[in-house]
Amino acid sequence: MPSTQVPPIAGAAIDPPSLRPPIDDAVIERVAPSEIRARLEALKADGYAMLLDLGAVDYLGRSPRFDVVYHLLRLAPKPASVAEVSTPTRLRILCGVEEDISLPTVSDLWKSADWAEREIYDLFGIRFDGHPDLRRIQMPNDWVGHPLRKDYPMRGPALERAPRPAFANKTNVVAGSPPSGRTLEALQEQVKRVREGRP
Amino acid sequence: MTVSPGHFMLARLDDVARWAQSSSVWPLTMGLACCAIEMMTVTSSEYDIARLGSEVFRSSPRQADLMIVSGRVAQKMGPVVKRLYDQMADPKWVISMGACASSGGIFDNYAIIQGVDTIIPVDVYVPGCPPTPDGLLYAVNLIQQQIRAGGRGGILARA
Amino acid sequence: MTASATPPPEVISRSDTTMVLSMGPQHPSTHGVLQIVLEIDSENVVKADPEIGYLHTGIEKSAEGLFWTQAQTVIERMDYLAPSSNALCYALAVERLLGITDRIPQRAQTIRVLIGELTRIASHCVWLGTHGIDLGAISVFFYCFDLRENILDLSEATGGARMHPNYIRVGGLNGDLPEGLLARLDALIEKFPGRLRELRGLLQANPIFQDRTIDIGVLSPEEAVQWNVTGPSLRASGIAYDVRKAFPYCGYETYDFDVPTRTEGDAYARFLVRLDEMEQSIRLIEQARRRLDTPGPVMIDDPKVALPPKETIALSMEALIHHFKLISEGFRVPPGDVYHSVESPRGELGYYIVSNGENKPYRIRTRPPSLYNLQALKGIAPGNLIADLVVMIGSLDPVFGEVDR
Repeated sequence: MPSTQVPPIAGAAIDPPSLRPPIDDAVIERVAPSEIRARLEALKADGYAMLLDLGAVDYLGRSPRFDVVYHLLRLAPKPASVAEVSTPTRLRILCGVEEDISLPTVSDLWKSADWAEREIYDLFGIRFDGHPDLRRIQMPNDWVGHPLRKDYPMRGPALERAPRPAFANKTNVVAGSPPSGRTLEALQEQVKRVREGRP
Repeated sequence: MTVSPGHFMLARLDDVARWAQSSSVWPLTMGLACCAIEMMTVTSSEYDIARLGSEVFRSSPRQADLMIVSGRVAQKMGPVVKRLYDQMADPKWVISMGACASSGGIFDNYAIIQGVDTIIPVDVYVPGCPPTPDGLLYAVNLIQQQIRAGGRGGILARA
Repeated sequence: MTASATPPPEVISRSDTTMVLSMGPQHPSTHGVLQIVLEIDSENVVKADPEIGYLHTGIEKSAEGLFWTQAQTVIERMDYLAPSSNALCYALAVERLLGITDRIPQRAQTIRVLIGELTRIASHCVWLGTHGIDLGAISVFFYCFDLRENILDLSEATGGARMHPNYIRVGGLNGDLPEGLLARLDALIEKFPGRLRELRGLLQANPIFQDRTIDIGVLSPEEAVQWNVTGPSLRASGIAYDVRKAFPYCGYETYDFDVPTRTEGDAYARFLVRLDEMEQSIRLIEQARRRLDTPGPVMIDDPKVALPPKETIALSMEALIHHFKLISEGFRVPPGDVYHSVESPRGELGYYIVSNGENKPYRIRTRPPSLYNLQALKGIAPGNLIADLVVMIGSLDPVFGEVDR
């Protein structure tokens, strides 16, 4: 059987969307942030009435760092006859965004973008100009940091420092880190302190 | 209790009170995630928690005895759970249902509080993801045993 | 890491006649942890602003730290009423990235359809039961959950757990159906029409139910498309968009079923559409059942993706090595991105999965149907009573594991 494994590309791929295999799940387009608003307005006028999804991906190490992904759907018009079969068409727009660059909002074009943009702001930190109410949606209002960024620790800044139970063998632990969270040096320091009678 | 021929029954007031309490534990509707569906299933006819005395699930914490934390507790929800626990009147008991409520479960990340016992005292932990409704029924049985043995739940004197 | 954004809006009364009230996040009728900040004028809703995030689990971030097969366990817990839809969509998307979609055995695809439709009926049972309870029709709950118990028994038999069976895997299924399951399925298929008639009889012609749901929460087709509503709520507004027909998967194009639609767009129409959907699911289950009489493999025959049969480990060195590699490292998925969607009981559930060639997902972005369905509440709530709000939430059928992830 032919193997499904591909040889690794000198480590992990930095820009996966440019290396994708031929899968026909959607028509894909890459648009720059300066043109994204005009392009989306044109697509909406062209019949793409549904903004299926609006998400973001963090490609740390690539420039531009983030990809904001718009999935659009053009619903099929009612077929004129039974013999005519029309299917909806899907379109994917990828917009590469650098850190600290904001995108124009599309919540006035498609109302569904409201919460989706808030979520991208909350979890990635990408701002949307013109959004009526851009605040955190998933995390508490006073949370610091944008959790879905690749440089945000998995367990969050507070938990990362806390000792972990010894039986926790999750694969998201950096290999070699002691499960208890206490390093040898800290233990030796503690022993020294006890021997010297310090608190 | 001793029953004498005639019209009197002798018992300790404590025993009678605890028997009454344990036979009418009313849970609070604290359904958070998947475990909440199994909690709803435990009220359905196949498992029927009503026969153990939990006839109704009260939505108001003022009227509930038992808080079944069923589901993962997110960072935003933690203060809400604590506030609801504080609003419940004594004596109150807590069942931590499922792996996520007991210890954070499979979600060892920034978003989930790693065990609801970091914010409220828990009396019974139920393992499972989600536990079968039988597991929750057993947990309610254990709470009833604790009540009958004199436990007043949580941070108060435990049996 | 930047500081948080604008502080939350001040929750004060905006005029002399209105009051701002917080409905939730602990509430018997919000179907989960939803907080709606309501601005009300006596009993009428002037503005409803749902607040979500009370169940944010960081599933997408957790999945980035787990192997591809392990990530499925956290993904299944998103839409916890229909866990097999999540698993199915994820498995199909990863199979597309791996390029093995046409090598999945036919029997596996048929069983996937069977499980998908059984999950749809189970999920609609919970919807109907809780919708009934919100409106005071408490007996409906017991009938629905009794039907659901039968389906969960089958789920337990196939995957080992009632909810979250983790039975659908990348490459096929975890194992073939156990002995005796098809006989139990046949018994259930015989029982279904009678049960559905019962459920219809409980509510459909009930004048109180009709009073409370007809003309409540009307969603016009244009509004529905603007709010990106999908699933039964969209079809109740007249737009016949069903992912099983539009972008078929698992061989749905070879099955014979209809997509029920209504035009009124109110809560009663959504109720009728979901009941009709349950009937269509039964049709699909019968057709899938007939195809399962012939035995066959249920997992792809590729040792780089699927575990070799356990019996061969003692006999073949290669099988042992493949087992070891798959368990300790997992398989690698070629770099690329894919968007795949299925018709979950709530609407179009989609995953946009990015792989960078490693043995862990790089990013799994979910297109949560409940998030967009729930957002429509902002549009349809104003002008109604608070009691109508409860009906509207029930008819939109949100699941917060999916909304908050």
